[in-house]
Amino acid sequence: MNSLKKIMMVALTMLSITKIDAQIKNAKTEVVKIYGNCGMCKSKIEKAGSLKNIAQVSWDKETKMATLSYDASKTNQEEILKRIALAGYDSDVFLAPDKAYSSLDECCQYDREAKVPVKADAKTDAIGMTVVNPSSVSESQKANELQSVFESYFLLKDALIKGEGKLAAENSQKLLTAITAVKMETLSMDVHMVWMKVLNDLTADSKNISATQDIKKQREIFKSLSKNSYELIKVSKFSEPVYYEYCPMADANWLSKESVIKNPYYGSQMLSCGKVVETIK
Amino acid sequence: MNNFRLIVLFFFVVLSVNAQKTVRYDLYVRDTIVNFTGKPKRAIAVNGQIPMPTLTFTEGDIAEIYVHNELEEDTSLHWHGLFLPNKEDGVPNLTQMPIKPHTIHKYTFPIIQNGTHWYHSHTELQEQIGMYGSFVLNKRANDPTFRKGIDDLPTVPVILSEWTDMDPNNVHRLLHNASDWFAIQKGTTQSYSEAIKAGHFKTKVTNEWKRMNAMDVSDVYYDKFLINGKSESQLSQFKSGDKVRLRVSNGGASTNFWLTYAGGKITVVANDGSDVEPVEVDRLLIAASETYDVVVIIPADKTAYEFMATSEDRTKSSSLYIGNGIKQLVDPLPKLKYFEGMKMMNDMMKMNGDLDDMGMSMSLNQMDMNVVMYPEITGEAKGKSDKKMTGDDYNSNKLSDITTLNYAMLKSPMKTTLPKDVPVKELRFELTGNMNRYVWSLDNKVVSETDKILIKKGENVRIVLHNGSMMRHPMHLHGHDFRLLNGQGDYAPLKNVVDIMPMETDTLEFNANVDGDWFFHCHILYHMMSGMGRIFSYENQPPNPLITNPKLAQRKLFADDRMFHFMAENDFATNGNDGEAMYANTRWSIGTEWRLGYNDMHGYEVETHIGRYIGKMQWLMPFVGFDWRYRRMGIDEHEQNLFGQADTKDNRAVFSAGVNYTLPLLIIAQAEIFTDGNLRLQFERKDIPVSKRLRMSLMWNTDKEYMAGLRYIVRRNFGITTHYDSDMGVGFGMSLNY
Repeated sequence: MNSLKKIMMVALTMLSITKIDAQIKNAKTEVVKIYGNCGMCKSKIEKAGSLKNIAQVSWDKETKMATLSYDASKTNQEEILKRIALAGYDSDVFLAPDKAYSSLDECCQYDREAKVPVKADAKTDAIGMTVVNPSSVSESQKANELQSVFESYFLLKDALIKGEGKLAAENSQKLLTAITAVKMETLSMDVHMVWMKVLNDLTADSKNISATQDIKKQREIFKSLSKNSYELIKVSKFSEPVYYEYCPMADANWLSKESVIKNPYYGSQMLSCGKVVETIK
Repeated sequence: MNNFRLIVLFFFVVLSVNAQKTVRYDLYVRDTIVNFTGKPKRAIAVNGQIPMPTLTFTEGDIAEIYVHNELEEDTSLHWHGLFLPNKEDGVPNLTQMPIKPHTIHKYTFPIIQNGTHWYHSHTELQEQIGMYGSFVLNKRANDPTFRKGIDDLPTVPVILSEWTDMDPNNVHRLLHNASDWFAIQKGTTQSYSEAIKAGHFKTKVTNEWKRMNAMDVSDVYYDKFLINGKSESQLSQFKSGDKVRLRVSNGGASTNFWLTYAGGKITVVANDGSDVEPVEVDRLLIAASETYDVVVIIPADKTAYEFMATSEDRTKSSSLYIGNGIKQLVDPLPKLKYFEGMKMMNDMMKMNGDLDDMGMSMSLNQMDMNVVMYPEITGEAKGKSDKKMTGDDYNSNKLSDITTLNYAMLKSPMKTTLPKDVPVKELRFELTGNMNRYVWSLDNKVVSETDKILIKKGENVRIVLHNGSMMRHPMHLHGHDFRLLNGQGDYAPLKNVVDIMPMETDTLEFNANVDGDWFFHCHILYHMMSGMGRIFSYENQPPNPLITNPKLAQRKLFADDRMFHFMAENDFATNGNDGEAMYANTRWSIGTEWRLGYNDMHGYEVETHIGRYIGKMQWLMPFVGFDWRYRRMGIDEHEQNLFGQADTKDNRAVFSAGVNYTLPLLIIAQAEIFTDGNLRLQFERKDIPVSKRLRMSLMWNTDKEYMAGLRYIVRRNFGITTHYDSDMGVGFGMSLNY
């Protein structure tokens, strides 16, 4: 009886081996790490990597290790890992495109350990290089004091262009944080004067935008927020040219780092409505 | 005065330093076997490599290039974008005679410019199988236009190309025979069943009603796309923070490439070998034969960023990883929405075959009608919308966050104005084409149908181009850079290729400053070989010493677009053989159809027509012919035809004259009168795309004959068929076609 069982076992293993052989010729097997989270990741990774009769991928959720077996005459490890990366999953060879990663389901958004953080870009390096004397150092520090306020403003504006109320509320919250973090005493005299003048309105407007997700209301409040920001940026300056743009349909202005018109008041309906009225350098 | 003396002295010194520097290259052109896809195929390698070696010079050098032709066929090399004496330009039968097998030809010319250029064979289809390479001209270190932070960056020559396992002569023949094999390979048949599935049945019917076959953004299916001869490669010598200047040339025979980068923006710093003011974009399309110099930054440590070239039809791509470490991929470009494109084309096409830009004056690639097909700009395909489109709906930069380069964004850093107070010659050309018969021309005339266009030395030549065809055409001018009038005033960019999209109008101008016969042509190789071009010839110029017999040279040059293409197919069916053969060129067609039964009852018949296509759309074809048939006691006996004339189906040997006309829905109506006085009207529609691989044919005529057939395309030259024929009954079989 026992021996029968053994024979059966052997026969079964033989069968399964021949089955694999039938599927993939010249099979080569390798084990590699693929970053992922959950059961859903498992099916996505395996589907993306496998190709009928050419490659078979099996991924273990716990160890994050994938077993690749493939026909070495037809494909290679790189090709398989590239397909998996294009589906959103990093490995030690490829990093997924950001879009592929961000379109994964929430439960699949694993920690991207393999990704090295991007260093400050060359632009800020260049600014650092141009520093020549102490007075200009203090100048640039003053500008930096408000830099984060403007940066948050631009993020808010971009959210309004896209018409995403939720994102706009979040970005407006960031703006509020940036505003409260400003150390007034470090501002130069003329900037300080304007800051005092617009501070209350800026705070109120950004608070109000963050309090709602209704894009219509947000855009309405954004008008006065833009007007005050304009007064501020005119005296304090920004590290790069800023364009003051005007939309006749909304009868309102906004600030942008680009001269190309992208209208935050109408979004996709009237994206290109408007014109540049002033360039602030 | 003193200053002047100094300047003279300075020039003298520069000249004496540079003038004598001769740089020599020896190029050995040899047949080779390559294996890009797993199958060994013939190609041409120069010095054992594909692409050809990068040739590097510095402005002021004298180039001496020895071409050793070790092929069994003619060759030539054209220096694309270079200013040189006409006899060094490398166009066989125009500026020189072809370089014969086992001979050596020396090209020599002074290098009087700088920038990124390339070189390729101008002989037949050799460019497709390996004869392309980078040609880099460095600035002198003391050049006043030397740009710190750009011209001193590390540079890498990058040449893009494509590979097909098919013999390019066969590619060319298939294109002329309206084969849809490439569409099947690409998955872009756009058949009726696919249209119904996508909710676009009406779109498809309208499309065929307007006499269009399925369209694509490119003509040929390729097995591989290559960057510097490889589908993937890495530049691991660069590290975080490095800026790299890529000197990109598109050496593809018929492919435009999208360039995208995983590490952020791409800064364009030069185009067609001339500097432009740096402009930052997310992506750009490099048309066949254009060159762009771009600067990219590596933003993070231990990471290589993907620089990707994707063919315009987005079937495949090629990657260059810049940096050392883990490879950060870039978002792939999503597949095109073909039925959206078809719908757009329907809106633009008038019933007479002309294009209607609906009042949008388009130029400089600013509006891209294909935007309706780009999911990344206009969203995923979603059924139908009946919104009328306006100009802004085609401007991709206004529709999304993605910034795409267009020609209006190019600005020369210095004034490029032409000499004033000289005569101006204005020329207008309409780019014309006929996709169904693959005829490409200017003003509906191919090179061999026109005279050379005479221009005078010293005058300014202004050319206005309008593209009235349905494909884009990168038009290239030999030996000169032209200013592309793009709204930048005195700072219009200098180019030698202008890619012009359907319905666009572009204006370019140049000063005629060097004698010779200069080719002006579409740089899509198969369009050029079909005759899409003109020759500019300087008046009263000295004869070219390399062209000893101008008449013979011209005849050989014209032979390219006069060439006939052969096709044949035969259906071996249970009830007989059905087939046709055709031998056709730009205007003429010699075609024979036959039906051969296996017994006398089924009989046999052969119809031969020799016709000439008329008009731009070539819908009309008058012909003369001969009809010969015999059978005994057929199964479908009629005493008379529909007009009450005696039926002579059983025994006929007559000459005929008639006319073919293509009706809406691509039905070919044929009226034919025979020497015995009989008249026949026939309606036929061949190759209705039912599904991806299934084709249906229908026929009926006034001799009360009719036919219906189905063909399933298994492989390029093999299909399975079934048909019902009023003379021969039901048949099953297989068809072979060439």
